[in-house]
Amino acid sequence: MKKRSIFALVALILGILSASSAFAQKVTLTVWGRDIPDDGADHAYIKALISGFQAKYPDIRLEYIALGDPGLMDKTKITMGAGSGLPDIFQTWGGSVMGGYADAGRLLDLTRELKNVPGSAAARAAMTWKGRIYGVAPFFAVAGVFVNEGIFEKYGLSMPKTVEGFGPLCDTLLAKGIQPFACGEKDKWPGLALYMYLTNRYGGDASARAASRKLAYDSPAFVKAAQLYQSWIKKGYFGATPLGEGYGDAQQLMATGKAAMHITGSWMCAQYANPDFTDQKIGFYAFPGLAQGGVGTVSDVMGMTDIGFAATAAAASKKDAVVKFLTYAMSPEACAAEPGRICSVPGVKARNPITAQAAAVFAQAKTVTFWWDQDLPPSVTSPLTDTIQKFFLPDTDVRKDLASFEALCVQNIGPVK
Amino acid sequence: MSAFRTRHGASEIAATAILAVLALVVILPLVMPLLFAFKTQLEFSYHPWALPKRLLVINFVEAWKAVRIDQGLANTLIVSLGAIVCTLPPAALAGYVFARYRSRATEIAFYAILVGYFVPAQMVLVPLYKMEVAVRLNNTLYGLFLPMAAFGIPFWMMIYRSFFKSLPGELAEAARIDGAGHSATFFRVMLPLARPATVLALILVFIGAWSDYLLSLILLSDQRLFTMQLRVASFLNAYGTDRMPRYAAAAIISAAPTVILYIVGHRWIIRGTLAGAVKE
Amino acid sequence: MSAHDIENHGRGGGRKTRARDWKRGAFVFLCVLPAFLFLAVFLYYPIEETFRISTTKSLGLGPEIYIGLENYRRLLASQEFLAGLLHVFTWAFWSVVIQLPLAFAVAFLLSYYSNRFTGPLKSIFYLANVLPSAITAMLGKFVFAPNYGMIASFAKHIGWKWLGGVDFLGDPRLAFWAVFAVATWAYTGFPIIYLMARIEQMPKELREAAELDGASPWRYARSIVLPDLGYPLRILAVLCTVGSLKLFDLPNMMTTGGPGYATETLGIMLYRRGFIDWDYGLAAAIGVVIFLLSLLMTAAELSIGARREKIA
Repeated sequence: MKKRSIFALVALILGILSASSAFAQKVTLTVWGRDIPDDGADHAYIKALISGFQAKYPDIRLEYIALGDPGLMDKTKITMGAGSGLPDIFQTWGGSVMGGYADAGRLLDLTRELKNVPGSAAARAAMTWKGRIYGVAPFFAVAGVFVNEGIFEKYGLSMPKTVEGFGPLCDTLLAKGIQPFACGEKDKWPGLALYMYLTNRYGGDASARAASRKLAYDSPAFVKAAQLYQSWIKKGYFGATPLGEGYGDAQQLMATGKAAMHITGSWMCAQYANPDFTDQKIGFYAFPGLAQGGVGTVSDVMGMTDIGFAATAAAASKKDAVVKFLTYAMSPEACAAEPGRICSVPGVKARNPITAQAAAVFAQAKTVTFWWDQDLPPSVTSPLTDTIQKFFLPDTDVRKDLASFEALCVQNIGPVK
Repeated sequence: MSAFRTRHGASEIAATAILAVLALVVILPLVMPLLFAFKTQLEFSYHPWALPKRLLVINFVEAWKAVRIDQGLANTLIVSLGAIVCTLPPAALAGYVFARYRSRATEIAFYAILVGYFVPAQMVLVPLYKMEVAVRLNNTLYGLFLPMAAFGIPFWMMIYRSFFKSLPGELAEAARIDGAGHSATFFRVMLPLARPATVLALILVFIGAWSDYLLSLILLSDQRLFTMQLRVASFLNAYGTDRMPRYAAAAIISAAPTVILYIVGHRWIIRGTLAGAVKE
Repeated sequence: MSAHDIENHGRGGGRKTRARDWKRGAFVFLCVLPAFLFLAVFLYYPIEETFRISTTKSLGLGPEIYIGLENYRRLLASQEFLAGLLHVFTWAFWSVVIQLPLAFAVAFLLSYYSNRFTGPLKSIFYLANVLPSAITAMLGKFVFAPNYGMIASFAKHIGWKWLGGVDFLGDPRLAFWAVFAVATWAYTGFPIIYLMARIEQMPKELREAAELDGASPWRYARSIVLPDLGYPLRILAVLCTVGSLKLFDLPNMMTTGGPGYATETLGIMLYRRGFIDWDYGLAAAIGVVIFLLSLLMTAAELSIGARREKIA
């Protein structure tokens, strides 16, 4: 008897609690991001975004969870795979990875709501898949050449206007005991940026055609680019131990003036402008075109989302709140807090000279090619970065390796038509 | 220096010296983060191996703030204790039976449980997650330490089996003569004698659950349930080795609890293992 | 050893024996039940799912198409898989050959020469294993990195420039050994304290008798202690082997499986195919390979010694 009355009492209390919560109709948005919203210099945007949004929309509760990298990607993949436990909004870089989620119906189609949000065309394209817009990209990264201006001034050097110009420049640097390029190829992915540029300079939109199977990956443009890359490595332009150098090591070489150039994305602008990180004077330049026989020009730029967000199907009933968040993420007031990334929202000024240089490179771009490892079907992504890393190994036959990569693509994506 | 009296003279001195050198090799890399954590980023970039010019604590402060010990500690404790309670008894019981009740059936059962050890964690994450979602176990702390126990039981069952196997049969016979049944023999005679295994298991299962990352990352979604290690790992990943001093400070903070736990517990291990001497 | 036969009791007929058998059977069943339940609920379904998915083509979030053993055929033709396979076996072999004798030597010396100095040392050896693997990998990178790593800086300091230029992590011939050295540093601790616990369990009288006979510590170790550790050493061999087959953390974080495929392991390939390439079918096939190889090698390791034990 006693048990039953206790049970009834508990049920009554629970009932009252749930009813009252139904009255306090507060919408909660779960957001999965990479960075912790603390006082770290490169976390300023996230911090401003979270606190600014809460202040502006007090009736929407934001649950932001920082998962780090690769935590964010691993967890996102698994929950997407299971189809449940999804957050409302998650940080993503768009491209084919986001496309995979979209094809499986896990994302919220926000074409109507987001198509008029002011932002650059490239940024919108990165968050679009098969004609539908799924998110926003407030910050966009482009790859370019970070240059140690101090070293260049000291030896009277200047940024080459052609790809061929790198040869004599690097020879001079080597003679002075400076490593021409910092790369970080131990981590397998950093070397991609330069290869993308070289294939574009030799073959124009070769990579887009190869991905849609109108061109083979061992066609002349790819092979010539690989051979040039390999010759640079063999001449020592990437240092004596390029494969022992990780991405963090590469940054350290630039920060201490032991390396002169670093071909990587503009996300590094904030670090290279930060006096706590480096005491060297560093600038950002566009990658030049070939002097002769080239197709791509300096206005063909490689880049992709730097920070982007998309919404999942789990937020279908909270579309309003989701759109508010995504729009706020693209607002000048939130973006102004970012110290270094290029903002794709018009009207936001660069906070440091290096970012201004990078933004200028982005602004003059006539075409933007997305990172291959974010845009190709995932099944050929790691074989691609493995193949590029092989350029750094002695005795590599680049033609043969590219041919096997092409064979893998034929198997996984389809033959060249 | 007082006389180092040895029973074995030269060989003991040599052995002690060798052991000391090996111990130094073990300790040296652990001291590395201390060299890094007190420097500024720039100082580190230029002189990674020099002694820090000043003992800066800013890195520790930032790491501490990010880790949010207050929230994570209780969760981590619950998970660790839950893992112990769910791992040790099944492992000890099964290990005992497989050691002292040998038969074809138990050999098969032994392998049936041992196969749990052959499973790489990454392989089962997706099916495990799907399963937990289906029974609403995900995003709970017990939904976290129950699978942890499932992963740990095969290993500790093997360890317990080896300890029980080494106990002489006369003890069991003596207990039987005294009228003890199977369970009494186990609980009052055999289990206490396998104390070294229990002590090892207590400490290692606790430390393992404490520092777990992958399972916690996948199975927990509510920030209020996040364990300390999960936060620390996010912090470590966020800054990466690009910002070594901050990373080193966070690494020290993350490793400190387990190291302290181990230092506190190791005396217990030594005492526990020494107490395993069999009475004749 | 007939010790356990006492619990087995005779199989003769009779009411009393049958009652005893029933009680014994019930006890055995109840003892095994909890462990079995945990595994059945949390691991058997994922294991079965993995076997099933390995026979399908399952890319990303797309549909699963049954393709039989095609994934396994692709594995056998894959250079990456063969490299990974070779590496895990090499790793298993050297782990057993280097870690176990080392652990035995340390454990034996620590317990044989127990004095004021070695006592405190006992706790130190396990410390390396207490660190999370991410931090161990980071430390490993800093020891071996070229130019400014610990070894390189030290070499430059004492004028050995050739050593400073050695690319431990970037040279395909050396990378494997660099990662292996770090793993040995981190993982030998458990075998040491496990063996120590077993050695300390041995009766003191045996040692005193050996000393009275004038036996050297080496003799004592070889003829008396070592044979008694037959089963524990076999268990450690199983742990080393299966651990090697599953190996992922350290080589992935130190060298990403590179340079090229120089430190590639089955575990890394599984992670890459499953989490980065989204080729779940292939990843599951790798998981099945790891599983079956572990089963095979464990059965082999546990039975080899046991047969010898029965003969002795």
